[in-house]
Amino acid sequence: MKYVGSIIKADYLQRTRSYAFLITLAISLYIAYTFVPAPGAAYTTVRVGNFIGVYNSAWIGYVTAIMTSVFLSLIGFYLVNNSIKKDIGTGVGMIIAATSIRNFKYLLSKALSNFLVLLSITAIVFIMSIMLFFIRGNRYSFEVTQFILPYTIVVLPALFFISSLAVVAEVFLGRRPVIQYLLFFALFNFISANVMMTKGSTMIMMLDPFGVKAVTMGMEDFVQTHFNKQLHVVSMGFNFSDKQDVKTFVFEGIQWQSAFIISRFMWIGFSLLLIFISSKFFHRFDVKERINTKKKKSLTPNISSGLITGDINLSALPVITPAYGILPFIKTELLMLFRKGSKWFWLVNIGGMIALIFAPLSIAHQIILPALWFLQVSRWSDIATKEKINRIHYFTYASYQPIKRLLVSQMIAGIILAVALALPLIIRYLINGDFIPILNIVAGAVFIVALAVCFGILSGGNKLFEILFFLLTYCAINKIPFTDYFGGLHNDLNYSGFMLAMIVLLITISFALRKYEIRHL
Amino acid sequence: MILSIQNLSKKYRKEKFGLKDYSITIENGILGLLGPNGAGKSTLMKIIATISQPTEGTLTLDGHNIVKEPDYIRKILGYLPQDFGVYANLNAYEFLAYMAAMKGVGGSGLRKRIDMLLEGVNLVEAARLPIGTYSGGMKQRIGIAQALLNDPKVLIFDEPTVGLDPEERVRFRNLISGMADDCIIILSSHIVSDIETIADEVAIMKHGTLITKGTQAEVIKAVDGKVFEIVLDSTQSDAFKTNYQAINSIRQKDKIKLRYISDKPAGESSPCTASLEDAYLFLTKQPLI
Repeated sequence: MKYVGSIIKADYLQRTRSYAFLITLAISLYIAYTFVPAPGAAYTTVRVGNFIGVYNSAWIGYVTAIMTSVFLSLIGFYLVNNSIKKDIGTGVGMIIAATSIRNFKYLLSKALSNFLVLLSITAIVFIMSIMLFFIRGNRYSFEVTQFILPYTIVVLPALFFISSLAVVAEVFLGRRPVIQYLLFFALFNFISANVMMTKGSTMIMMLDPFGVKAVTMGMEDFVQTHFNKQLHVVSMGFNFSDKQDVKTFVFEGIQWQSAFIISRFMWIGFSLLLIFISSKFFHRFDVKERINTKKKKSLTPNISSGLITGDINLSALPVITPAYGILPFIKTELLMLFRKGSKWFWLVNIGGMIALIFAPLSIAHQIILPALWFLQVSRWSDIATKEKINRIHYFTYASYQPIKRLLVSQMIAGIILAVALALPLIIRYLINGDFIPILNIVAGAVFIVALAVCFGILSGGNKLFEILFFLLTYCAINKIPFTDYFGGLHNDLNYSGFMLAMIVLLITISFALRKYEIRHL
Repeated sequence: MILSIQNLSKKYRKEKFGLKDYSITIENGILGLLGPNGAGKSTLMKIIATISQPTEGTLTLDGHNIVKEPDYIRKILGYLPQDFGVYANLNAYEFLAYMAAMKGVGGSGLRKRIDMLLEGVNLVEAARLPIGTYSGGMKQRIGIAQALLNDPKVLIFDEPTVGLDPEERVRFRNLISGMADDCIIILSSHIVSDIETIADEVAIMKHGTLITKGTQAEVIKAVDGKVFEIVLDSTQSDAFKTNYQAINSIRQKDKIKLRYISDKPAGESSPCTASLEDAYLFLTKQPLI
């Protein structure tokens, strides 16, 4: 186990010593802050019928714990599902493959490292929840166990499950990140629906990997006992519906059922079982290159050693003339965007575009468009970072006017893709003579590409944007107003102006960062 | 063309210098940069290629300050970095067209130029295949081709022969020898023989400073008459190495033939003709003043 410990430590340190992780922590802190709304806020998070708890230790401890369990499970998967990929990319995997470490131990160490990363975020959220108690609920006595117990019993097993699931997904779908995203999203929604929509029972409570059902059932029982009202937890998330009729009650925590405690251990055991099963299918870094290897096979015998013929006479080469236009860039950038990922995936895109034609306008705009755009996440996420990822940046940064020409071309290519995908919807609005939504869709396309560029340059990688984009899409589809970057809920020019300001800000930051970056390699 | 570097320093953090008070003037021809790992060769090349900024000092090309006007050199620069990558999904032709756009060159001759360069580096047959399928040597050759795309007047090659087989190395040396008359070519390598055969001048670096610069003959003078060979029993060699600066040893069945540097020969030593490698090893092992 000594070696496993070393792998976990190295992996954990490598992943947490990055700007991207710091930014993730900052965003987590902000999200944690929103878990306990200020008294005047326009939303609620957890609500039992029209009841919410007063801000005592129990309510803040339990609410932040279940919100963390759900949100960190959702975001956490996307955050940590690249640990094996990193070992492949850096070549460390080849070295690991040649050592005596067993597949199970290796995968377990990756799962534990994932868990530690998520645990670090949880620690920050936990501290924030205690701070929130003193900010919002200092009329009540501070009981630390009301924080520790729900976090330990609810959150930790959930995070271990997610950490393991991320490893399993990498083993089976390592080369298909978008399919990983979609399958996990479907699984998450299935579990959430099962937890939130169904009537509580011991079995449902035990089958809930996030551990939320036990707490919401406890809250419902509490309301029933004290107010004799059979109410359900109607919302968990950010609920902007009418807050006026909301009443308060003093929540005192729940009695932890032994069946639930056992189920938490069962989820840990199930996670270990999943890792064990996937270890039987793990490629152990014996992976082929992503590029079409059939062609390589036919190429190698023809050009065995390959020689520089040595007869390049520079003065005899055709004359070239200065050409500072950006069209060749845009063309190649579009080509790379188009070729990225499986070509079969374009069928899904075409399906999405057809759905944009035939679905009711509001569904097309509010659900299908953001979902279709999200499917392009891996195309956009490296739009301004692929130079570094592919080590082309030595060339691009030393090129003629790399910001005004190349960066601008990359953004234009990304926007063209977004607008092209949204074209059926744009045409429908055009036919209706409704121009403001068109403006908002184009603004959304520019915004999402600018966000990809800004967060890519800022973090030096893809992950941060991918997580943020997912979160934005998830919240936007759930109609949270301030995440409506494509104008699905806002049909006014003021909103277009707001988006324009956001775009200008993102582009300004991106240009400033890239300007510094290109001269400081 | 004259590339003038005056008192150039690159400070990474407190007392950690990539380059320190470095001055050199480079004219048309091939300058070979030699130095151990961490000597500052790549740092110097990155600064000349405008992708890193010096902390202090000036860098001018024909009187133009290229720290302040990087685009002046970028238009005429050919740069082959040490550890570059490619876009795996593009083929050689698409990649070179992309690089041409980056360098701001085009026109009706571009396509023909790319064809001829691909022919020159023997990648015509593979030109329509994704670069991701190429071997290391083939990628290195596409790197060489891109450096020559824009009719460069300043060429920077950082460890260009890495990944090339011995025959390809010879061809590469022939290729750049023919270009040296109207270009500044700066070439770094760990392989002294690569520099020895083609460089008009050699600059030896250590710990971010310039130890010496001159023609090969001038540099070799530092060890002229100081290089000897001796054949010893294998048991004697360790003791010998503690007293003399050994450069090379060749095992010969129970015996070891040692090449070393000393002001005076030891025992039954025979004098040798000094080489650039001798001078390089001697100079880089001397303590800095």
